[in-house]
Amino acid sequence: MTKSSGIMNSIKPRITEIKLSLYLLCRNRLTRLSLGVVILLGLTALAAPFIVPHPEHIETEANPVDKLLPPSGKYYFGTDELGRDIFSRVIYGTRISLQTALIAVGLALLIGIPLGAIAGATGGMVDEVIMRITDIFLSFPPLLLAIAIAAFLGPSLENAMLAIGVSWWPWYTRLIRGQAVSIRERQFVKAARAIGTPPVRIIFGHIVPNCIAPVIVQASMDIGGVILTIASLSFLGLGAQPPTPEWGLMVSTSRNYFLNAWWYSIFPGLAIFVTVLVFNLLGDGLREILDPKTRKI
Amino acid sequence: MRSFIVKRVLLGILVLFGVILITFVLTRVIPSNPAAQWVGQRATAEQIEAAKIELGLDKPLYVQLERYLADLAKGDLGRSLRSHQPVSAELKAYLPATIELVLVSTIVAVIIGIPLGVASAKRKDHMVDHVSRFFSVGAVSLPTFWVGMFLQLIFYRWLGLLPLGGQLSMGIKLTREIPHITGFLMFDSLITGDFVVFRDALAHIILPGITVALYPIGLVARMTRSALLEILDEDYIRAARSYGLPERMVLWSYALKNSLGPTATVVALSIGYTLVNTFLVEAIFSWPGIGSYISSAVISLDYPAIMGVTIFSACAYVVLNLVADVIIALDPRVRV
Amino acid sequence: MKLYSGKKSIVMTVILVMLVTLAASGCGGRDVGQNDAGEVQPKIAFYAFNSEPILDWDPSVEYSNGIVVLNNVYETLLRYEPISEEVIPVLATEYTKSDDGLTWTFKIREGVKFHNGADLTAKDVKASIDRTIALGQGAAFVWDPVEEIVVKDDYTVDFKLKYPAPLDLIASSGYAAFIMSSEAIEANPEDWFSQGNVAGTGPYTLQSFKMGDEVVLTKFDDYWKGWEGEHFDKVVIKKIPETASRRQLVEKGEADVTMELPYEDIEVLKGNPAVNVMEVPSFQNLLVFFNTEKAPLDNKLVRQAISYAFPYGDVVKYAMGGYAVQGRGPIPVGHWGHGDNLFQYRHDLDKARELLARAGYPDGGLELLFTYMAGDEAEKKTAELFKAELAKIGINMEIRGMPWESQWELSRNPDAQKRQDLLTMYWWPDYASPYSWLYSLYHSEEEILFNLSYWKNAEYDRLIDKGNEMSGIDIEEAENLYIQAQEILVDEAPSIFAYDKKYVWVTNSSFKGFKSNPIYPNVVFFYDTYRE
Repeated sequence: MTKSSGIMNSIKPRITEIKLSLYLLCRNRLTRLSLGVVILLGLTALAAPFIVPHPEHIETEANPVDKLLPPSGKYYFGTDELGRDIFSRVIYGTRISLQTALIAVGLALLIGIPLGAIAGATGGMVDEVIMRITDIFLSFPPLLLAIAIAAFLGPSLENAMLAIGVSWWPWYTRLIRGQAVSIRERQFVKAARAIGTPPVRIIFGHIVPNCIAPVIVQASMDIGGVILTIASLSFLGLGAQPPTPEWGLMVSTSRNYFLNAWWYSIFPGLAIFVTVLVFNLLGDGLREILDPKTRKI
Repeated sequence: MRSFIVKRVLLGILVLFGVILITFVLTRVIPSNPAAQWVGQRATAEQIEAAKIELGLDKPLYVQLERYLADLAKGDLGRSLRSHQPVSAELKAYLPATIELVLVSTIVAVIIGIPLGVASAKRKDHMVDHVSRFFSVGAVSLPTFWVGMFLQLIFYRWLGLLPLGGQLSMGIKLTREIPHITGFLMFDSLITGDFVVFRDALAHIILPGITVALYPIGLVARMTRSALLEILDEDYIRAARSYGLPERMVLWSYALKNSLGPTATVVALSIGYTLVNTFLVEAIFSWPGIGSYISSAVISLDYPAIMGVTIFSACAYVVLNLVADVIIALDPRVRV
Repeated sequence: MKLYSGKKSIVMTVILVMLVTLAASGCGGRDVGQNDAGEVQPKIAFYAFNSEPILDWDPSVEYSNGIVVLNNVYETLLRYEPISEEVIPVLATEYTKSDDGLTWTFKIREGVKFHNGADLTAKDVKASIDRTIALGQGAAFVWDPVEEIVVKDDYTVDFKLKYPAPLDLIASSGYAAFIMSSEAIEANPEDWFSQGNVAGTGPYTLQSFKMGDEVVLTKFDDYWKGWEGEHFDKVVIKKIPETASRRQLVEKGEADVTMELPYEDIEVLKGNPAVNVMEVPSFQNLLVFFNTEKAPLDNKLVRQAISYAFPYGDVVKYAMGGYAVQGRGPIPVGHWGHGDNLFQYRHDLDKARELLARAGYPDGGLELLFTYMAGDEAEKKTAELFKAELAKIGINMEIRGMPWESQWELSRNPDAQKRQDLLTMYWWPDYASPYSWLYSLYHSEEEILFNLSYWKNAEYDRLIDKGNEMSGIDIEEAENLYIQAQEILVDEAPSIFAYDKKYVWVTNSSFKGFKSNPIYPNVVFFYDTYRE
């Protein structure tokens, strides 16, 4: 058996698997719809600066003469306390939320994957120590650790991402460790070890690539939760700073005005809800088809 | 069995120690000056220097940790930098309101969540399932703080039905003797038969209660659904069905009973979640609990107070986790 | 399983009871508890306060919101009336000073009782101020000029000073000038007061409190002014941080008095006959400090340019809802020492561009960091409006809202390059003297405290120090010196004088007798108030 055909053999079933999963994913109406909305949100995020009606209201301009106007043909979602177009800011907020969520999850993966792989592949004391540390982190209520870290780091969007990354990684460590333990004893790893491949190369060259798929799936399912957490931190004043059009910050600011200006809190909040909802629905659908117990073909 | 529980408890203790260590390290690496906070907004340099010594901040880090652990063992969480009062005493004053809110919303979550999960499992992939799945995923996706504001807008501003916030109307609070036995307002007023206070307290807890309950409703419903689905597939259920037992009986008394273990676990865990969720909700509803307490501590970087709440919540979470694990371990059906 | 169903039925019953009682109450929660027939209800005043009503019960130490409570429980020798610029006798009936301004003699009021039953004498005055000075916390520094306090007889006390100072103004300070019972001081350990015990002469005494949340005061029967006429029996001061809740309380008549509502709400409340909106001057002003130790703001031209770019009019109109006036120098309008003829920067972007070009930045291209206190809506709006104007002259300003403690810590970083470029904060005086602003904010400092522009000017320092000494002897001469000093300050522009704030009180229309005094910020002297 040549090397390339080996790769082909391992890739082929994977491609079939992906195709099958996509097919199953799209069979459920709710999941299909949410996949559509997620794609739409992604496109909105990319195009945001070009499609909003009042790009100047994002960062650089205030228009207080028009403050707190209700929704109208000119301002679809009304205006905020400095007369800025809420519609433009909510649309642009998509970009901020998706971007920060991706970075935060990426950060968590960056910490979580190597630790989990090392723990799973090495075993013994190293495994024990890493997993106990993981347990400790997992025993904080999820939002609490992020709040505590963000509070101590000081308020900024970067620190909020950092706080989430630091409080989220143990989930991935645990997941990848489980995978790594099962792969550790497989033939190709044994073979690599037998021919004297250094442990670092075994971990990152053989083990990680072979157990990363479920982690990536899990991470994409977590995006919704991360968006919600970022919004919550911003709401507490621990995330985005004004005048950044971050949804949580907008809802937070609207607290002073919402009893007289309902539109100010409704629209950014709705944006958080819809975005988190579609990500969660998609994640739910993914879980359903990937879990052999509930999978029905 | 016993060795499992012992091991689990030991792990719990290790975890708590880790939690304390992490919070301690967090508070010491941040750029702030607790001594300056201790003396207040317009301190002089000498006052800050004196406070540094008073608070033991001039000592090396390991001495500080040692001192902190020793105090902690005595139940002393240090003193708040703002009020100079013991954090443990302040927590005690704020805690009952939070517990009351968490309990009420957990009860609501169980009452709504379980039937929702059952309905959904019973008719998997039917309309009911879709609606309930949408609802339960929706409940988990809602930003709680926003829901709170939304409810205030509807029930206070537009309909004028319910109060905006607080635990009790000011008028009642000022003119009546408020019963105080356990510290749980609704419970105390109920057992003393003070229905004016009870009614008022009830009206005040509805909106925050619903807001906090949404998340656990979703969790409980989802968990019940998936646990039931798994069980409904098992042989003995099939057997029961094949004997022609009524479907309702199969579902409610055979299957549901057996899925209670995992659901109880989720309830225990969701209390931990709920506790932190109340932090966001309490601020909106002026609810006088530890959530309001930590919010104001965060604003002024009152680190002993932040640490106190963090350690307390983490402890509660660890204990609840432990309880959930032990329930599972004790339930012969669920044992893996 | 039996157990479970049993539990379930309990739960069900509880829910049922809840629902039934709720239905019975008509989903109410609005109705106030009925008065028991015949019984006289105490008259209660409720103050919905935006923050913690008190943080430390020790009157020698508390240097924060606590003056709101303490001024109803304790009294000072004198009280200052800034409108008429008069000093009013309280516990002192009269006072004299020597020609050199170094000896002040106070006559103490006779027949005044403390909450613990003791009689007020000169001994209590000495013991209180000595204690405050010895503890050296909070605002104790206001007594810095005092060398020695001498009891001449039971009702006469002398203050000997190290250097001339306006001791009448200091003795009327809202902080650290309270008189406590010497008996209580001697009989108890040092932390007795901060444990929540009181021993003052004020009209109210402490009934109960929940730290950081609420304080309930009840009338002191033996108060020296007596209880003839209309007064409140009890006073509740409670923290209600949400503006919407404070507004609701005062609209529904549950709260008698509140403050710090959003200006959007004020406009609506003005049309509501159930409440009174009072607009009064304050001695609180917002200043924006430039980091003068870091490029490019170490350049006077850049500072002046940015002073011209600040949108004074829009900030007053939109950040403050019109409840402010543009600052003219650091001393607020209405306070003695305010310079009516001082130069005032105006919003002029062309002038700003011209100055920037002269400073070597013709296209702007500057990146600046601006910090403010998180949670302060007016500071936030000011920052956003300011940022928009700076963008027009090519300056990008990053805004960062921080807890005050972190903001202050950043501003005191030993490395000037790591500090913020601009910082905004409010200032108000400890007692009625311009020296509070001119010294604390702009006098050169060895160690950074509140001179957050890090500005140093020897001539300025000399002028204000001289002014302070003169204010104990000749107040007009002192005022002249202070205004000369401010001329330097305005030209050098170490900070932007954004606005002098006005306080807006919202009271229940039946709440009468309330007069706001800006030197005691947010304080309601409840003895003077009554319900009509």
